[in-house]
Amino acid sequence: VPLTRLVHAGEDLLGIIRAGDAELTSEMVDQLLESLDHVSEWIEHLSGQGELPAGVVEESQKGVARLRALCPGGKKDGAEAGEAAADAKLDLEWLQSVPEDDLITAFSRAITGRPVTAIRYTPATGCFYNGEDPFNLFRQVPELLTLHTRRQEPWGNAEAFDPYVCNLTFHALSSASRSGEPQHGFRYVLEQTAFARMKPEDLICVQGSKTSGADMSKFRSAARHSIGRNDFKSLRAAAGLLLQDLPADIWEASALRWLAAVLDAPLPNPLWAAALAESAATRLPPDWAAATALLASLHAGASAGKTAVSPLLLHILREQERILALPAADEEQAHRRLVAVTAAAMNLARSSGRTDLLEVLAAVQAEEAGEAGQLAGILAGWRIAAEAAQSAAASAAPEAQSGGHPAEMAARKMLKVDQAKVDMLMNLIGELVVWKNSLPFLAKRAEEVFGVREMAREIKDQYTVIDRLSQEMQGSIMQVRMLPVSEVFERFPRLVRDLSRKLGKNIVLDVEGEDTAADKTIIECLGDPLIHIVRNSIDHGVETPEARQAAGKPEAAVIKLRAAQEADQIVIEVSDDGKGIDPQRIKAAAIAKGVIDAEQAERLSDQEAVNLIFHAGFSTAAEVSDLSGRGVGMDVVNSTVDKLGGQVNVTSQTGQGTTVRLSLPLSMAVTRVMMVEACGSLYGIPMDAVAETVRVPAGRITRIKQAETFVLRDTVVPLVRMSALLRLPETGGDDGGDKAVMVCRVSGTVFGVVVDCFREGTDVILKPLDGVLSGLRGFSGSALLGDGRVLLVLNLKELL
Amino acid sequence: MPLRCEDDTVHFEDTCAVEEALTLTEHLREHPGARADLSRCTYLHTSLAQVLLAMKPEIAALPGEPFMARWLNPLLETPPDSPGDGLVKVRS
Repeated sequence: VPLTRLVHAGEDLLGIIRAGDAELTSEMVDQLLESLDHVSEWIEHLSGQGELPAGVVEESQKGVARLRALCPGGKKDGAEAGEAAADAKLDLEWLQSVPEDDLITAFSRAITGRPVTAIRYTPATGCFYNGEDPFNLFRQVPELLTLHTRRQEPWGNAEAFDPYVCNLTFHALSSASRSGEPQHGFRYVLEQTAFARMKPEDLICVQGSKTSGADMSKFRSAARHSIGRNDFKSLRAAAGLLLQDLPADIWEASALRWLAAVLDAPLPNPLWAAALAESAATRLPPDWAAATALLASLHAGASAGKTAVSPLLLHILREQERILALPAADEEQAHRRLVAVTAAAMNLARSSGRTDLLEVLAAVQAEEAGEAGQLAGILAGWRIAAEAAQSAAASAAPEAQSGGHPAEMAARKMLKVDQAKVDMLMNLIGELVVWKNSLPFLAKRAEEVFGVREMAREIKDQYTVIDRLSQEMQGSIMQVRMLPVSEVFERFPRLVRDLSRKLGKNIVLDVEGEDTAADKTIIECLGDPLIHIVRNSIDHGVETPEARQAAGKPEAAVIKLRAAQEADQIVIEVSDDGKGIDPQRIKAAAIAKGVIDAEQAERLSDQEAVNLIFHAGFSTAAEVSDLSGRGVGMDVVNSTVDKLGGQVNVTSQTGQGTTVRLSLPLSMAVTRVMMVEACGSLYGIPMDAVAETVRVPAGRITRIKQAETFVLRDTVVPLVRMSALLRLPETGGDDGGDKAVMVCRVSGTVFGVVVDCFREGTDVILKPLDGVLSGLRGFSGSALLGDGRVLLVLNLKELL
Repeated sequence: MPLRCEDDTVHFEDTCAVEEALTLTEHLREHPGARADLSRCTYLHTSLAQVLLAMKPEIAALPGEPFMARWLNPLLETPPDSPGDGLVKVRS
């Protein structure tokens, strides 16, 4: 129960945010994340021990209280949800006794886009003993529009009256523009207060005596006519004229005053205008539903096409309003924003054919230092009108809507499959791919052994078909196993947020290419190395805001997380614009730790020095000596990526930032190997290690001390013999003929391997050596060849 | 003393704090005809306002301080709820 209560509180808050009744603040996010952590902790505890940890009730209550406090208009407890409806009614009811002037003021603020917040404050009866002063709390409410005080209970007998029992309750409206501002003054009495964002139409409250019997029928038909043609100017004039003739305190006059207020908006809302004009005639409170229907019928004949408002327009309008409402860092920023929004609004007006608006906006633009409030008003008016038109259009043509939302309807057909089944399928396809390779052998045999050339050709024809099919099958089974990198990336916003808050650094995370896909195994293994890298970037790379300012960089650092596919590799880059790695400090730390000696350090280039951070054992060195150099866990990163057959590169520029680049194979299922013959048996070498194959005449091999070398395109390439690598007896012997040299590149170094002869490249399914063989070094694994032989695939890195 | 109780008039002066609420109540009970002069009052604690609203003494002068003038005066002129819901004046 404590758990669900907390979850519900969070859901409520999110619901309010989604409904747009509140702005998402950093504070809310903190609180929500914290609650989420609590909940997952509890669930873990629950599944592990079968009960909730001690103290969970208090913790949950605290969390609920904090979340509720953040809810504008929030209720104290979920149990009170039923009360919400009653509360809303109560709110409307008290509005009846608020002077109309106050309401109209509030209304005109609301339609110009200012949030109007209703506050209900019912102090505890004993509040005077706590030093509270409810009435004067309202002195702190900014932009108080109205304050309504009433008693909670009848006063009762004079003798029994206790002046220290608070029997008052307060209702107020405030148009404080920043969210949370009206609440601020009540932060110590939040349990006794309720806040609600008022919609402009909720404020419309016609009051007055209904007994005058003024004849409004003429006005009613004139109003309908004007509204039907969107001619609000003449309606406003008519209302103004009529008002002069009516006594001020009657219902009709009040309705007309409201109508005038509605029409005074830069863009009058036709729905409200219609409802109020009707209300003036019927002497009944404005009925929005009836007015919507009326409006639809009025518009249906006039201009059916025009009323259709694209949802996109609405969306853009809302977005522009949101931009306007954002707090600006300084005058200049505010001004730039204003100019941008004005321009956007003008474009909108142009595209939707609103020439009238265009003029208004041009006026705003001409004013140079146009005021944000004015523009916000125009936009809000436009949006409200557009919304009304949209709802009118919707009710006029309900059948058009009924078929809608095809995108939502067409739920994706998904299948949940056990991973083992997919793996099984992949293994089978892999076998097929390998066995298909036996067909060329068969063709060869048919030709050479049985001498049926015709048959051989036919087998080869069939082979091409099976080859194509199996490649396609392989491709699609890969797709099944592919996951987008967003699986890994999605945890980073949280990580960056938490860490940057903790360290007091200002960091923007920029994620790019999150839908790049790679094999599940790769994606799953990527998580930890990436966390290490990002954490290092935040911890060591990014400077404090002060240091950044001193260095002339923007206060907020940017950490870029970029994924992309390059050929058959997936490349993930983590770059920051922090202070970079200082090679000198790395060298110093490496010498201190005994990783290299001073002489070696002298010879290292900066890039090589930077690469030292991958050195096992270096991490701790950096940590102990409290150096800023990255190093924590980098050797872990390196070894993980290495295991996956990938590479890590670090480039860094002091003062400019650091980029860590991981490149990994897209898929690990099928490995392309180069087959070579050495010492009488066949070996495979992973294709990505092979740079090229050359034949070198024996005469060009020169011996430098113990090592053999040869010159390839003006570069000295060291030579090793395969037989020496494998510690097998030399078979061919130095016969002085050409040597088959495979030029390999392993972790950046180039060398040649002398083999007996080259064979073709082939796709194999690499099976790691297991059982008693698992301890063997120098082999990546074994694979089955098309003719049934077993191929040992070498791991050159381990062999060297 | 911000609250000065004379037999027929209670003068509210400057800041009138919560401590005075009982004094005011007692005084109004003993002098049912007493009037309240708030013209020089600059700050009125809620409890005192509540006493005024509940016991409805005749108001000799309304407060001039803007916040009170705006939000309290309408209440003092016409009590918050329907007329006749003040205290039952036992001794009047």
